[in-house]
Amino acid sequence: MNSHSAALTIDDLSVDFLGLRAVDGVTMIVREGELRVLLGANGAGKTTLMDLISGKTPSTQGRIHLYDLDITNKPPDAIARAGIGRKFQIPSVFKELTVRQNLEVGSCRRRGVLSNLRLGFPGEQTRRVDEVLGTIALLDRADTLAADLSHGETQWLELGLLIVQDPKVLLLDEPTAGMTQSETLKTARIIRELRGRHTIVVVEHDMAFVREIAERITVMHLGKVLAEGDIATIESDPKVRAAYLGTKGIH
Amino acid sequence: MAARRVRDVALYLVFIAVIMVLPLFVEDYALNQVARFLVYGILGVAIALSWGYAGILNLGQGLFFGLGAYMMAMSLKLASNTSLQQGSDKPVPDFMLWNAEPGAKTDLCCISKASFLWIPFQSQWFGLAMAIVVPVAIAALAGSIMFRNRISGVFVSIMTLAMVLLVRLLIIDAQPVTNGFNGLTDLGFFKIGDFVLDNYGLPLYYIVAAVLALTLLLTRLLVETRAGLILQATREDANRCLYLGFDVPMYQTFFFCVSAAIAGVAGLLYANVAQFASPTFMDLSFSISMVVWAAVGGRNSLLGACLGAILIHLLEDAMSKTPALVESWKAIIGLVFVLSVLFMPKGIAGLASDFGDFLARRLPRPRRTGLTADPPQVARESKS
Repeated sequence: MNSHSAALTIDDLSVDFLGLRAVDGVTMIVREGELRVLLGANGAGKTTLMDLISGKTPSTQGRIHLYDLDITNKPPDAIARAGIGRKFQIPSVFKELTVRQNLEVGSCRRRGVLSNLRLGFPGEQTRRVDEVLGTIALLDRADTLAADLSHGETQWLELGLLIVQDPKVLLLDEPTAGMTQSETLKTARIIRELRGRHTIVVVEHDMAFVREIAERITVMHLGKVLAEGDIATIESDPKVRAAYLGTKGIH
Repeated sequence: MAARRVRDVALYLVFIAVIMVLPLFVEDYALNQVARFLVYGILGVAIALSWGYAGILNLGQGLFFGLGAYMMAMSLKLASNTSLQQGSDKPVPDFMLWNAEPGAKTDLCCISKASFLWIPFQSQWFGLAMAIVVPVAIAALAGSIMFRNRISGVFVSIMTLAMVLLVRLLIIDAQPVTNGFNGLTDLGFFKIGDFVLDNYGLPLYYIVAAVLALTLLLTRLLVETRAGLILQATREDANRCLYLGFDVPMYQTFFFCVSAAIAGVAGLLYANVAQFASPTFMDLSFSISMVVWAAVGGRNSLLGACLGAILIHLLEDAMSKTPALVESWKAIIGLVFVLSVLFMPKGIAGLASDFGDFLARRLPRPRRTGLTADPPQVARESKS
């Protein structure tokens, strides 16, 4: 496979909540190594789309493929094992474990009970944990309980939990929610560092952040894909301006 | 972390050493009492594993303990003299004879409708095995149903509570095979070859002490494994684990079964030490008091919960010698529970651990770099 093969293929995907089509016939191809931003007003269906991909919500129509593997409506843990890592809007980490232990949990390649009935971690796993501690800049906090981290650090730790698994596709739902400006910039730096090594889909509202990281943007509106393209194309698209950005442009 | 682990292991070893030398200082009659307390200590470990480590507050742990005790007691009952003197060359429990229809054949096969269930229990090793297998099988079944359906928290507690009461009722109701309310009394002794395990004897005490020591060490080893760490992660955030690809219900069911197995072992030992099995093992108050032991001792610590169980019984024993205090025992234990939840949420173990940390801070510290090996520094690329 060349580096531009499709990592995530979404084909005519819909979900119907008793008549409300929160995601309505979305078709989208994310290429390997791409960093895709999902943009859209509240209720546009961005988070629902992530729920459908990660198996939280079953879809009512359409298919989702991770490379050649059909993952439509599989259980969440099976989808995660197939190689999709999902970060939630509200950061969730293991509070009573240390930062290092959190990452150690994430670093387990085999996920069954019996295959994990061993003491200690193989050297390769430990090296990967250290590497990720560096990436998320929490090396000096390795032995801190996750409960004692700041909000920003908690977000980075959850990001680290996903990265340490080396997922094929990362789904990040508002990774900068509630962050200060400097934290947001640091998050942008981490995500840029991951670009190329991972395929990433980010839901984001913060336009400054989107400008920092975006390559290709998909704009959603009322469950449908409204436009797709680079940031200049999106900013000048009249449909997008009308539906989402107002007339003032992206601010 | 490493220093704390060393401290923990040292405490385990001290505790094990104490229970091993205890017979030197305690007379035989009291030794039987101590053995009972150690059995409660084993139960404490089971509670700490499921409540502290797995986050599953089982309000029906007495079910697994009681079943373990009953399975063992069935074998011991058949070994008792009274069972052997019922006008048959095969053992028949005395209560079955009292309840038998006139003219029924005095044989386990057909003296009452379900008495055939007792037949394999003529082998004591069968009874011993069942004391572990039956609790584990029930835990596996109930656990997989509950956890597969993502039932968690207080609902698991309610369901386990209902389960223990249900089984208690069934046992009382099945009078012809279980002797109902009265339970199984007048038991024989367990025999290993020709060797008889007298319940007041030193060998039985040492078996109980050794099983407690092994349970403590093996369970500690189990929670130190990667699976143990992942289990704690499922306690903290089951959803996060699910979306990391872990089969969370499988983890919960597995450790629920381990906890049931430990309770089953405690039950079978109790039947040997106390020489009876009774539906009171499945009383709600007994299962609740197990939770109190763990809360007082420290539910996040296996040794803490074990000590909690033993200390509370020592206290109860001391108070029962003072007539004025016997009646107020329940009120006092309730008060102890409330106070420990309010003022030491991590129990005695948490208090001791904090004190240890305090001492460690106060003591002159060896060179900072000598304490822990620094993790290899990873070059951080700082791009703008």
